[in-house]
Amino acid sequence: MFGPAELISQLLVGISRSMILFIVCAGLSFVLGVLRVPNIAHGSLYMIGAFTTFSITKMFAGSAGFWIALIVAPLLVAVVSLVAERALFCHLYEREHLMLLLFTFAISLILGDLVKIVWGAEYKSVSAPALLKGSISLFGASFPRYNLFLILVGPLVAIAIWLFTNKTKIGKISRAAAVDREMVGVLGINVSWVFAIAFVIGCYLAGVGGALVAPTVSITLGMDHTLIIEAFLIVIIGGLGNMWGALVGSLIFGITHSFGVLFWPQFAIVFPYIAVVIVLLLRPKGLLKSVW
Amino acid sequence: MKKFTVWILFLVTLFVLFLSNANAQRTIKVGILDPYTGPAAVFANDALNSFKLELNEINKKGVLGTKIEFTTRDTKFKVDVGLSAAKELVMMEKVDLLVGTINSAVSLAVSDYAKVEKIPFIVWISKSEKITGEKGHRYVFSTAENTYMAGKTGGIALSKKPFLKYWIAGDDYEYGHAIADGIWRNLKALKPKVELIGQSWWKVGEPDLVPYLTSILAAKPDAVIVCGGGATMTNSLKACKATGFHEKIPVYMHTATDHAVLKPLGKEAPEGVMGTMDYHFYHPDTLANRAFVKAFQDAYGNPPGFPAFHAYVTAHLIAKAFAKAGAIDKEKFINAMEGMKVDSPVGEIEMRACDHQAVLPMFLGVTKKVPQYDFLISSDIITFSGKDIMPTCEEIKKVRGGS
Repeated sequence: MFGPAELISQLLVGISRSMILFIVCAGLSFVLGVLRVPNIAHGSLYMIGAFTTFSITKMFAGSAGFWIALIVAPLLVAVVSLVAERALFCHLYEREHLMLLLFTFAISLILGDLVKIVWGAEYKSVSAPALLKGSISLFGASFPRYNLFLILVGPLVAIAIWLFTNKTKIGKISRAAAVDREMVGVLGINVSWVFAIAFVIGCYLAGVGGALVAPTVSITLGMDHTLIIEAFLIVIIGGLGNMWGALVGSLIFGITHSFGVLFWPQFAIVFPYIAVVIVLLLRPKGLLKSVW
Repeated sequence: MKKFTVWILFLVTLFVLFLSNANAQRTIKVGILDPYTGPAAVFANDALNSFKLELNEINKKGVLGTKIEFTTRDTKFKVDVGLSAAKELVMMEKVDLLVGTINSAVSLAVSDYAKVEKIPFIVWISKSEKITGEKGHRYVFSTAENTYMAGKTGGIALSKKPFLKYWIAGDDYEYGHAIADGIWRNLKALKPKVELIGQSWWKVGEPDLVPYLTSILAAKPDAVIVCGGGATMTNSLKACKATGFHEKIPVYMHTATDHAVLKPLGKEAPEGVMGTMDYHFYHPDTLANRAFVKAFQDAYGNPPGFPAFHAYVTAHLIAKAFAKAGAIDKEKFINAMEGMKVDSPVGEIEMRACDHQAVLPMFLGVTKKVPQYDFLISSDIITFSGKDIMPTCEEIKKVRGGS
């Protein structure tokens, strides 16, 4: 029924969607791994990233606004998260997971209302830069240029995360803290600041995801809730706290959804969730090694 | 004995005076239910702003020597929250009537409650045809267009196009399916040769619709009908533009021409997408519409959307119906509402007596860039009269089981 052009096009659409999911989920997984915090407010930071991108693009004419926003918006999200971490989160790391879950849920509601106060309830939209507008023909099938850009950005972010966690001192300490936080403290390292930096980096990635998704969707209140459920599922099937698990989980989620749409469009919604159920039945602790 | 009779007469006179005075001071209380948080808040706020504006004008003259006041409750787009809020407004706030809401499921639940409690409920945004159709009753009214009206308009419009092979896509919830059923039922009846070659249904709030559009492109239908609401419409138009979908396959979306959908996209929205709406701030270009738009724009800095138009009609119907009823009495209010006509920005609107549905026109148009706005508008507008797109009173009687 479908030719190779349609299959390849749909595969690439699925991968491009996976890339945004991966960037956001990598941040969530990093915070989960190092801090053991199931941060429901991660979705809100992604939403703030998208709204901030909107505001920055409005300040600059032409395509420059988007490129500036891609750098500045995640940094602003990082600043917000640093304030939240120093003021609130750092006092609660030793609490039970249920309490942390409720606490971050409360934070997400507060951030949702703050977004409404700052940006209002109207839908917002960001244009893709001129270079990435429109579509190209891939083997005869139409494919958006911006999605091609996402496919290139995803691996770059993955490499950057790998370099950070494996080649920098703070990255190595974060990895060590993920495995044995007491030992890191015993070695005389200021664990509090390690946690703060890990939290900010995780939230920065949420901001990057928000900035990248902005040209592809309408920016609305509630976009955080849509994402966070998928993000948690991805992190769980990938392996809690495992960054590469987040990548594998995102690819499974994005590609099964994309092919579900192609082969059984009336019931495409369920395909990624069926994939999640299958993975959890076969490997209850996730596909890759969990740090929990 | 005579002294005692004088005292009794004096006390009775005082009591009557007290009662009449109390009645004169009592205000008419309206309880408004809508989601003031979440993505649908944009529509709820638009309606509320317009309602406030119109009540300010109405209250300058007053109704029955008193004022109309309102109190709001946030339904959070949830049935249980909306229903609890309705009960609280009726039992604690003692409102005289309920107004709301954008969510059809909430409206149907509150409508059931209104029927039991015998309190008038005016639906001003929800679009399920069941509200004034199958599930309609004496206590529920609607000042919003519904899925039957939208479906019939879409069906008539598409039957005049040369397309034969269709694909239907949309939000996987009651509203999306109701619009799709309405359009397809009417289109098939008017043009039996049409064929539905496939359907795609995405979850409400699905952010990325590109995978859906690329898969529809692969199926090569003659035209696509997109059935959704709110942010989905903006996402659909955005995905059309990104994939060049609308340049390859003609697209019909019920609310594609809605200002709330087109404005966020600015000049980036795709041109040539067919859509239907029941209100545009720039059409019809009448004195009444211009005056309404100017007042709204002066007050809030934005032009009114379709919920604002519905709220305008609702406010004036309430005021006129209480004035006609002559008392703050629920049953008399309902009697007065039936068949009542009010002037509106799009002309005279009638509240049909047989089903309590406002007779509203629908405007079919195509998205187009124009120099005077920095966003696309609906162009080449064709107006469908409300009477031509609504079910007949006999049909209403039939779906309500002959009652």
